[in-house]
Amino acid sequence: MKDSHRIIVESRKVKYDFTVKRNITILTGDSGSGKTVLIDLIRDYRRYGSDSGVFLSCDRECRTIDNEDWERQISEISNSIIFIDEGNRFLTSRKFAELVQKSDNYFVIATREKLPMLSYSVNEIYGFRKSGKFHEARQKYNEIYHLYGEISEQRMVCPQYVLTEDSNSGYEFFSDLSKQKNICCFSANGKSNIIFGLHKIKKKEGTCLVIVDGAAFGSEMRDVSEYLKVADDIVLYAPESFEWLLLSTNAIPNVNVSPILEHPEKYIDSKEYVSWERFFTTLLVKRTQNNSLWAYSKKKLPAVYLSSKLMNAAKKLMKLIQWDV
Amino acid sequence: MLTIIYGDAENSIYNTSVYFKNTYEPEWFESELAKKMIKDIDDSDVLSGECINSPVLGQIPPERLSGGVKTLLLMLNEPDKIFNASTCGDNCAKWILEIGKQKDLTINLRHMMSFGHNTEFEIKIENGGEIVHSMRELIPIASRYLNEMKQE
Repeated sequence: MKDSHRIIVESRKVKYDFTVKRNITILTGDSGSGKTVLIDLIRDYRRYGSDSGVFLSCDRECRTIDNEDWERQISEISNSIIFIDEGNRFLTSRKFAELVQKSDNYFVIATREKLPMLSYSVNEIYGFRKSGKFHEARQKYNEIYHLYGEISEQRMVCPQYVLTEDSNSGYEFFSDLSKQKNICCFSANGKSNIIFGLHKIKKKEGTCLVIVDGAAFGSEMRDVSEYLKVADDIVLYAPESFEWLLLSTNAIPNVNVSPILEHPEKYIDSKEYVSWERFFTTLLVKRTQNNSLWAYSKKKLPAVYLSSKLMNAAKKLMKLIQWDV
Repeated sequence: MLTIIYGDAENSIYNTSVYFKNTYEPEWFESELAKKMIKDIDDSDVLSGECINSPVLGQIPPERLSGGVKTLLLMLNEPDKIFNASTCGDNCAKWILEIGKQKDLTINLRHMMSFGHNTEFEIKIENGGEIVHSMRELIPIASRYLNEMKQE
């Protein structure tokens, strides 16, 4: 499934109006904010249609599933938006992750648990805020230019050391950028090692900039954002992915993907790409594969990607981060 | 004292809503603490042991309380059992600490619940026996145990 889909669910007492645009959307937040009420309304509508007293509007079918027969249901349902409430143990299972990855459905999951086997975005984690009858879906984590932590438009982030989730091309790039600034760059060797990595290196003075792929960092975001609140001087930079950043520079010869970057949801098929991060990697690989100089590899960054032209273009995109000495 | 098992916990009750629906007693709603928790989390008033007045949903039976409140009521009334407290939002954390002050309570957490960044507490982490007093102490330890959770 592709594209964004607006969902309006309304009963006489409550109303929800929100949009989903990736294969996985997470509903989380305080108790009593209305997650289960939403899913119950969709279940009622599904069973009884307009007899339920529920109004539901969406250009795709909205379904709910629970513990009973979930494997068969996910396999058989197609081109729909599937809602799942907390309390279903299968959510953390390998089998569920496998089915989601092969599915052409979108999933809206109410849970606080981390689902590390699923790649979901930090931007698609929502909480509901009640205002009378209306339940407004709000992004759980606030950002400015993909930066998270104690950030304001008035204050530049001047990193004194850098920690990347990536250990390959992304690490090479930011390591080189850090070297130019005479600061250290470390690799956490994976998204689940960020807190461990921070704990290990956080004896240094100054601001630490943590760089992760936002499109696949959703499962870790809760832990890391809580850590940012208690640790001093740590800022998280979570662009969609390193490859997204490279594509966004518009500095790679004959690679102009601006329309795609503007509305990725119109181009990314959930069945083909488990996360946008994978899509951007494939896009960059495909668009550069016939250019011997620029042919991109995630494992080893071609030297030309460290050229001053591309580096400067990337620095410009990383607003509020002061890379120059 | 409050004890937390992070990650998978044997014998813990995972789907607390279903367990609540089949086990709650009308007497549970007589206690002042229960009434306070229901008011604070769900903004609702207890009319009787079988009827709650919700500003959003009107008069509802107890099984339609929020998942978090139902789990808190289970902790309060069946403290010998271990419940999945990841059915509780952060707005339930202060009440979990309160119940833990009144009685020995062990809960299972499968996510990083925030107990408040300026809150001092004493929590035992069952996984490794650590005692922690703040979120600053708790987060690195909890993160390690949450990462060890089985993915089957």
